[in-house]
Amino acid sequence: MALDSAKKEELLKRLAQGVVEFEDDEVREAAQEWVDTGEDTYDAIFDGLVSGMEEVGKLFSAQEYFVPEMLMAADSLYIGLDILKPQMKPRDSGVKGAVVIGTVQGDVHDIGKNIVKMMFDVAGFNVYDLGRDVPLEDFLKKQLETNSDIVCLSAMMTTTMMGMPKVIEMIRAKNPNCKIMIGGAPITDDIVGKFGADATAKDASNALEEAVKMVVSLREIQKEANAKS
Amino acid sequence: MNEHTVIFQPSGRRGKIKDGANLLEAARSLGVEIESICGEKKTCGKCKVQVEEGFFEKYGVDSRVGNLSGWTRDEERMLSLAEKENKYRLSCLAHVQGDLLVFVPEESRGGKQVVRKKAGKLKHKPDPALTIHYIEMQSPTLHDPEDDFLRVVAALKAQHGVEADRIDIHCLRAMTGTLRKADWKVTVFLLHGEIVRVAPGKVENYYGIAIDIGTTTVAAYLTDLKTGRAVATESKMNPQVIYGEDVMSRITYAMQNPETGLEKMHKAIIGTLNEMIGALAEEHMITRDDILEMVLVCNTAMHHILLRLDPQYVGVAPFPTAMSKALDVKARDLGIDINICGSIHVLANEAGFVGADNCGVLIAEEPYNSEELMLIIDIGTNGELLLGSKKHGVVSCSVATGPALEGAQIKFGMRAAPGAIEKVEIDQETLEPRFKVIGKELWNIDAAEIEAKGICGSGIIDVVSEMFRTGIIDKSGRFSKYAPSKRITKDPQSGMPEYILAYKEETSIGKDIVVTQGDVRAIQLAVGSIYAGAVIMMREHGVEKVDTVVLAGAFGSHLNQFSCLLMGMFPDAPLDKILSVGNAAGDGARLCLVNKHKRKEADEMARKVRYLELTVYKDFERVFMKSMQFPHMEDKFPTIQHVIDEIPDWKKIAREKEKAEQEGG
Repeated sequence: MALDSAKKEELLKRLAQGVVEFEDDEVREAAQEWVDTGEDTYDAIFDGLVSGMEEVGKLFSAQEYFVPEMLMAADSLYIGLDILKPQMKPRDSGVKGAVVIGTVQGDVHDIGKNIVKMMFDVAGFNVYDLGRDVPLEDFLKKQLETNSDIVCLSAMMTTTMMGMPKVIEMIRAKNPNCKIMIGGAPITDDIVGKFGADATAKDASNALEEAVKMVVSLREIQKEANAKS
Repeated sequence: MNEHTVIFQPSGRRGKIKDGANLLEAARSLGVEIESICGEKKTCGKCKVQVEEGFFEKYGVDSRVGNLSGWTRDEERMLSLAEKENKYRLSCLAHVQGDLLVFVPEESRGGKQVVRKKAGKLKHKPDPALTIHYIEMQSPTLHDPEDDFLRVVAALKAQHGVEADRIDIHCLRAMTGTLRKADWKVTVFLLHGEIVRVAPGKVENYYGIAIDIGTTTVAAYLTDLKTGRAVATESKMNPQVIYGEDVMSRITYAMQNPETGLEKMHKAIIGTLNEMIGALAEEHMITRDDILEMVLVCNTAMHHILLRLDPQYVGVAPFPTAMSKALDVKARDLGIDINICGSIHVLANEAGFVGADNCGVLIAEEPYNSEELMLIIDIGTNGELLLGSKKHGVVSCSVATGPALEGAQIKFGMRAAPGAIEKVEIDQETLEPRFKVIGKELWNIDAAEIEAKGICGSGIIDVVSEMFRTGIIDKSGRFSKYAPSKRITKDPQSGMPEYILAYKEETSIGKDIVVTQGDVRAIQLAVGSIYAGAVIMMREHGVEKVDTVVLAGAFGSHLNQFSCLLMGMFPDAPLDKILSVGNAAGDGARLCLVNKHKRKEADEMARKVRYLELTVYKDFERVFMKSMQFPHMEDKFPTIQHVIDEIPDWKKIAREKEKAEQEGG
């Protein structure tokens, strides 16, 4: 069965809406219908699932959605992704880049980091997740190994946040072009400046909102890169 | 216009202040009351505040005296040289020109904090570690030239059957004179086999102090060790709040200022303890010398700072303490001003995040002796949970409730002080609230002057719970777009919905007091974290429900049980099985002071409690997420199901009304 444009629109809408309303079954069915047509699933992922997730991000920023809704939406998204990804044809366009991400040494809180990671995942980045309580020098090691464009550091506690400038210093010394984003409850714009990082979200108390903003800023970075090339 | 960040401590109020405003104006606009008797006529000198200098990581504020306008002649006249050196300013004369952290000293505070740490009655009979024994001896003769110490030891053995084998050097120095002056009739104070005081004649009543050092408040109970009763109570703000409001920021402060940070915080708390000891002694008309022992409970960070132990390692995973066992220290080694031979007993820490204060709760509530399965929640800046019974044993965990439940991080949040809204009810039909303010007898609807300043912890719990019960917010915490009330408005700047709890006319801050969507979210995180902790603990015990819920902590004792349950702070339990026990940590300290068996029990039981590190549970994130909804995403609450069933669905009501109007029209 081929995929005509009306059917395509309908499925895209169901995928996006399914994510926004965390209707796992709806997402599963729509994704399966798409796969059954044998068509490339690239659009289904990016114009369907990811566009739904972007809407979720907006709702989250507007505080209409909260952590549970965000996580439920993420669940639905992953259900769709599992079905659609195997049938996606490789291509050059789309967001690309590599990100090293982790929660710094001494800190075991990773809910925020996991959601940031997910946003990178769906945006098409190569994500190297170092997990939590990550020894500071491991960030540098992984950055050098992967030559990632971005390193993301997360900390929920003021005490562990103090490890961040050490990582930033290490990375800057070896690779001044790497973008460094920091996030977590204690991070403010002032701290970003003081630590010499490149970015965080405005609302420091909310790691999730930061995720949304990071994706946006990454897209800008990418656009700039595209414009240059 | 140029703005600067100004933070007032100890209230923790902060905000942006226009360049050039004086500190008194800044304080008012942030809801901080500073005494100003003369009304800014520069005559009373009452509005003294102290500038705290340094870079405060947590706020990103670099506070300097130079960030205020210059020293004035009026200040020269009204402040002492010592005050000038200690960076005191008069708030009506000092104008803001940069970021500042300002401490409002006790005497300058307009409204005094209501510290709710009363001493309740204890269950155990006194049998203190510190004992007194009246002895009479023969003076030495050539036939009996025994030394003074052995003479006293022999008399103790012969007349009371008690063993003494040591004496404090300071006590020994005084003893020789005392024995002779008192004609060899003395009362001996004995602590763990050591003679610590020899007083002339017969002493009847003797004293110790139990102290609970909280992150925010310190409570001290002067206790008559003969009767076991608290004879005087004193509480004060923990002076360390200027270095950080929560334990983490204080540990960071110590890390960032390796030479001075720990020392400063240590000195601050010791200074406060000494003031409190002095006040207690004065109130009961005794002297500092009459106090021979103190028992202390506190969380691990406060414990380390108090003992001047480097706190940085308890601040990062895996959070090891320097010492978890109970500790006895001579008061003089800490600079604590009681009898020079006096001793300090610090209760055991259970784990990195579960300190001696929780050990106090443990022995006060004794879940290990309970037939029923008890869930004990000690709510403070951190929440500590215990779950157990005689059959199950006891597990503990620590949850990051954050300061929201204490009124911080809430737009109009404040600590429990006069002017704080502490109780709220909302009418289910009109969506109109009625509320009660601390310091006023009447509820707002009956009172002529209400003068609300903000909302304290119990008030915020009440109002969010009531907003859910009346359908203003839904299960997910989102504001209903259909709830018909003129009180539901949007913040003009952020566009986020909010509920007006008190109109401008009902407040003393010149603006409406509102509950924002952000406030609701902060509360969801706090109550969700407690519920999630309880779920993991219940799973560990393999149980589906708990029999009793005990709310401990000064704040816990003022909560409305129904409100807490409706928000899903803990798993369902019958309302009469949800108990408030007040300051159980303080009770534990008092028990250890007056009963040596409890003291032993504390050390033993602290080691038996099994600590659960919640973040290592793979699905903790899921458990936590489900717990954030009101009362819970899936779990059932039979006790309050009938209330949940009655929650109006404003969307449905609005649609029906619309439909009826269309049909009617």
